[in-house]
Amino acid sequence: MRVLQLQVNGDTLETAAPVHWTLLEVLRYRLGLVGSKQGCDKGDCGACTVLLDGKPVLSCLTLAANAVGHEVTTIEGLAPKPETTSEPALDPIQRAFDDCGALQCGFCQPGMMLSARALLNTNAHPTRKEIQQALSGNLCRCTGYTQIVQAVETAVARVSGKTEPDCAWVAELARDRAQIDSAPNEASPSSTTPGPGAPS
Amino acid sequence: MKNFEMALPNSVDEAVGLLPKTLSDDRARLLAGGQDLLTEMKEYLVEPDLVVNLKSIPDLDGVVWASDGSLEIGALTTLASLEKDASIAAAFPALVQAAASIASPQIRSAATVGGNLNQRPRCWYYRSEDYPCLKKGGTECFSYYGKNRYNAILGGGPSYIVHPSDLAPALVALGAEVQLISPRGERVLTLEEFFVLPSEGDVLRETRLAADEVLTRIRVPAPAAGQRSIYLKFKERDAYDFALAAVALVLQTDGDKLASCRLVLGAVAPVPWRCTRTERKLAGRPLGEELVALAAQDALADAEPLSENGYKVPLTQGLIAEAFEALTI
Amino acid sequence: MSARDQHGLAAPHGEFQIIGKPQRKIDGATKARGSALYTDDLCLPGMLHAKTLRSPHAHARILSIDTSAAQALPGVHGVITGQDMPTPYGVIPWTPDETALAVDKVRFIGDEVAAVAAVDEDTALCALDLIHVEYELLHSYQSPQDALERNEPAIHKNKRGDNVSKRVQLDFGEVDKAFETSPVVIEGDYSFHGSTHAAIEPHCALAQVDGNGLLTLWSATQITHYVHRALASVLDLAPHRIRVIQPAIGGAFGGKSDPFSLEFCVAKLAQITGRPVKMLWNREEVFYAHRGRHPMDMHYRTAADESGRIQSVDAKILIDGGSYSSFGLVTTYYSGQLLTGPYDFPTYRFDSTRVFTNKPPCGPKRGHGSVQPRFAFEVQLDELAVQLGMDPIELRRRNSIGPQTMTVNGQRITSCGFDECLEKVERASDWKSRRGKLEQGRGLGVAGSMYISGTNYAVYPNDMPQAGIQLKVDRSGVVTVFSGANDIGQGSNSMVAYVVAEELGLTLDMLRVVAADTDLCPVDLGAYSSRVTFMVGNAAIDASRKLRKLVVSSLAEHWEIEERRVRLVGGEALDLEDPTRHMTMAEAFQIAEVKHDTLGATGSYNTPTLGGDYRGGSIGASPAYSFSAHVVEVAVDEETGHLDVREVWCAHDCGKALNPTLVAGQIEGSVYMGIAEAIYENHQTNRFGLHAGPSLLDYSMATTLDTPEIKALIVESLDPEGPYGAKEAGEGPLHSAIPALSNAIFDAVGIRLRHLPFTPEVVLRALREKREAERQTASPGNNP
Repeated sequence: MRVLQLQVNGDTLETAAPVHWTLLEVLRYRLGLVGSKQGCDKGDCGACTVLLDGKPVLSCLTLAANAVGHEVTTIEGLAPKPETTSEPALDPIQRAFDDCGALQCGFCQPGMMLSARALLNTNAHPTRKEIQQALSGNLCRCTGYTQIVQAVETAVARVSGKTEPDCAWVAELARDRAQIDSAPNEASPSSTTPGPGAPS
Repeated sequence: MKNFEMALPNSVDEAVGLLPKTLSDDRARLLAGGQDLLTEMKEYLVEPDLVVNLKSIPDLDGVVWASDGSLEIGALTTLASLEKDASIAAAFPALVQAAASIASPQIRSAATVGGNLNQRPRCWYYRSEDYPCLKKGGTECFSYYGKNRYNAILGGGPSYIVHPSDLAPALVALGAEVQLISPRGERVLTLEEFFVLPSEGDVLRETRLAADEVLTRIRVPAPAAGQRSIYLKFKERDAYDFALAAVALVLQTDGDKLASCRLVLGAVAPVPWRCTRTERKLAGRPLGEELVALAAQDALADAEPLSENGYKVPLTQGLIAEAFEALTI
Repeated sequence: MSARDQHGLAAPHGEFQIIGKPQRKIDGATKARGSALYTDDLCLPGMLHAKTLRSPHAHARILSIDTSAAQALPGVHGVITGQDMPTPYGVIPWTPDETALAVDKVRFIGDEVAAVAAVDEDTALCALDLIHVEYELLHSYQSPQDALERNEPAIHKNKRGDNVSKRVQLDFGEVDKAFETSPVVIEGDYSFHGSTHAAIEPHCALAQVDGNGLLTLWSATQITHYVHRALASVLDLAPHRIRVIQPAIGGAFGGKSDPFSLEFCVAKLAQITGRPVKMLWNREEVFYAHRGRHPMDMHYRTAADESGRIQSVDAKILIDGGSYSSFGLVTTYYSGQLLTGPYDFPTYRFDSTRVFTNKPPCGPKRGHGSVQPRFAFEVQLDELAVQLGMDPIELRRRNSIGPQTMTVNGQRITSCGFDECLEKVERASDWKSRRGKLEQGRGLGVAGSMYISGTNYAVYPNDMPQAGIQLKVDRSGVVTVFSGANDIGQGSNSMVAYVVAEELGLTLDMLRVVAADTDLCPVDLGAYSSRVTFMVGNAAIDASRKLRKLVVSSLAEHWEIEERRVRLVGGEALDLEDPTRHMTMAEAFQIAEVKHDTLGATGSYNTPTLGGDYRGGSIGASPAYSFSAHVVEVAVDEETGHLDVREVWCAHDCGKALNPTLVAGQIEGSVYMGIAEAIYENHQTNRFGLHAGPSLLDYSMATTLDTPEIKALIVESLDPEGPYGAKEAGEGPLHSAIPALSNAIFDAVGIRLRHLPFTPEVVLRALREKREAERQTASPGNNP
């Protein structure tokens, strides 16, 4: 057992754990921060990604002792404090992931969103290739990555104050659906699509 | 993984003092970035009682340019910081290309240069706890008759692992040296000498590092005038994967002739495979298709593929051609 | 079919408010914040941790097990072996050949032998090392051919004394005559390798026995109901003393459809120790549990006339089942029964044999049983098009079966948008102007497919509904939906919320969904066979309309107007003809509660009687079929054998797209999974039966950098029986991605890849063979 003093999401937390425990184990099973996920426990999937001094690392391949003295950010620390009591706050990346359909089973996404955050912290206007590079260590089995990359692009566009095009997929989808509308022998679904999750 | 004690030494001397004196003594292990060691410990391939954590030692992290243009890299320098260093990219493109080709962004954030050079093989017979293979003190290299699509086509026997490092071929091609410190003092080896074939040394190991020795620094000599370099890695997936084949090439031209070159192959042999004979044959020849064809042919002339890895021959030849074309045409 | 099962296509209040439009998922923000709780995130006071001892041998008899040293280890609270739970089970009740832990034999490396509960995982692992098992080794079968040729020792006992798991032979029409009289016959061998689900969340289960003896199991399962039944049988415990809950689940893809050893083990260990017990499998164990795609060796013959009309198809398929039956009976039927669309052919025969081998058991993976034959057949159709000199899209169009038809094996096709799928991919990929004109090494390929939206074959025979929904109303306006369906990330909880909100005029924040809890929710058969949207969606409409009727009639009476004037929309009730008259839905519910007492409703769905009148005719008989077409563009590097899949267009006919965002996500995820398993993934064992790399490094799945541009094109042939016309979207769009890739490679460099996977060495070898063949035909001696 070793007593560990860790800086996690702005708090200083003290706990004791066996020396061989990884940061992932201490976060999940000592500190109750279960948002970081274990997918492979061997550095092959990225589900356990956290930020260490802002850099994405694998908490399953980081001994907890080696996190001492560094600022750890987990998914629980990604969202800012809410500004009002009625609306929970989300990081723009979290908001865009929700809007763009990027959260299917959601299991890989805490790590994915932290990798995206690390990217945007150093590169506010990444290209699609740079986004793909930055997320290449995070395996997702549900989405085919398409809506994930679109979500990061959407977050970038929103933070930059761009309103058009907001969600790339909405435009593409709407265009395609418009084509369907004009096709013969087709019942006509609504062709006007509001923005994702537009307030009803 | 098995529990252990962790030592946090404040100096290299203190660290090496904690290490066992003989290679057969398996009780202690050095920890740097941990990206390889922890995977081995989680598979119970190594079960040290003591982990000597190098992270507590100051000054092993970071790079220093000497006045002669040579570069000294601390062993704890992360791959991510190499990858992002513009002055290294300008002087030694192959090194930065190799660093950027490794694993994933997260692993590069934590993995160190020293750890990358000292990482253990990825052959899955070695990595599986269930196989008492030659590399783990057993009597058989299972890959010889078994699944060997990732194994060696050059320099194999009695073990047919390939060395997994991407930095190693690039640094050997760049003529790098390594500083090793033990209780007996300091010694410097060329990186080429540092690696050792299973037929020439201890089959349990890939390097000449002694049991009580730490690799502390890597020195890359200043680039010669007009030196160009490239590292090409072929992998199945564009992230995570180790190479199926890789080529590091450093050369200088003299007008329309090749003045000299250093050609090192990765993922085809138990060590970074320097093609010395080919380098000699090529020196002084006119640039062009003939030279490229000769390089590709001669470098693989001695290849002895196993049952499933014959594809590595044309694959590596293709990469060699691509590397020469990229630097000379 | 009863009236409750058909609800028409129209919106309940004129225009759709929610359905058909992009919506967030109801659990989206929770997942975005990382606060969704998955099974391993749960922790109970006093909880023990369990681990499993697995067989190191591929096939062996267990002579003895000595657990005394493990029992004696401090910190160990319980040790169990097969003798503690000898009752066999199987997800298909006709083939119960699994036990929670091996009873007398082990059948693959990784088979479960014993389990230990201890204070922590490290102690449990130490205890496993202290269990001594004596084995007598038996011949291990590592190929299906070996298992066919040799009967002794049998992997499982059966009456025939062989290693055959299931054989299905079905003939439709005069196949031999069709082949004799058809001018064009294409014949060839094809094979599909093993692949696995590799959901990022490993299997995990947690059990607790409370003071009343009630057993609660939390498990990462996609079929709560079957786990409930299996637990009752194996534990010999009355079903009413068992509750099964599925927490948030980190992907499944069919890999969490069987009852698994760890579910029984934690339950038994919780009973023995009196403490909560959790077991989390590591990644390696998930590879042993497997249940993934069956490897198949397939021989196909297709007969056609000169115009390209298919006259007959004849298939012989050998299926490598691995060590247990799992869903294998259904797999064997599906390998033939699901091929009979989207093309019309008058005669058909298939002969499929599934054999046991000493490898991790195969089961249902996305596109269960039909992805492999679809690959073979669609590549063969491409060969037919080449032989006839016909555009492969035109060939497919010419054979398209169309809506309101019957397949050769008696499956009823209602809606069918396959022609539109072909048209969409043809147009989107610019097929007509680009095909054949791309630079050297680049090519385009096409393929089509069909899949089920659930089947009327319930896994165990019964006449009860296949899906049910229960609604509960609060005076605040909140409606709680109790749904038995398992949301495995596809969004089925959101789907029922969209339906109920649409029907009752609520906003989505007024909906709560309680799902996949056997104590709280009506029975649903689970998330498999692409059944959930179709069946549970219909049940949700059924329940909502009953409740709406109560509310509307109460308001009509309250306002003294005709019912047709009452509209429920956007969280409000209003009078269409008098804009001054409106109230919140909370008030509307209160008025209805006064009139009808406590409000609530149930809804159900059951399939009509479907399928051909022959043994097995109902297997693969679906109330509706989805259709897909893919065009793949690939660049082949002839130096390295590297395949660069540039772009995939997938048009998928899912009927009404209830939420196009989620439909697009299902299409994109399917395309990714198909392309990835064709190029990168290979679930295989070595000559000893040991898994060849049970890790996510060795079993390499595509990353962001390896995944092509995917263009999802939604086609909506409104289905007369689907909820608002909806069909499935989660499995169909995988199928034809793989043959379209093979066909694109042929178009690019002229090599016909009939055997998966398409690794660099396979591509290089095929290119070399092609060059050698060309050299031979070009040499003077061979010149005609």
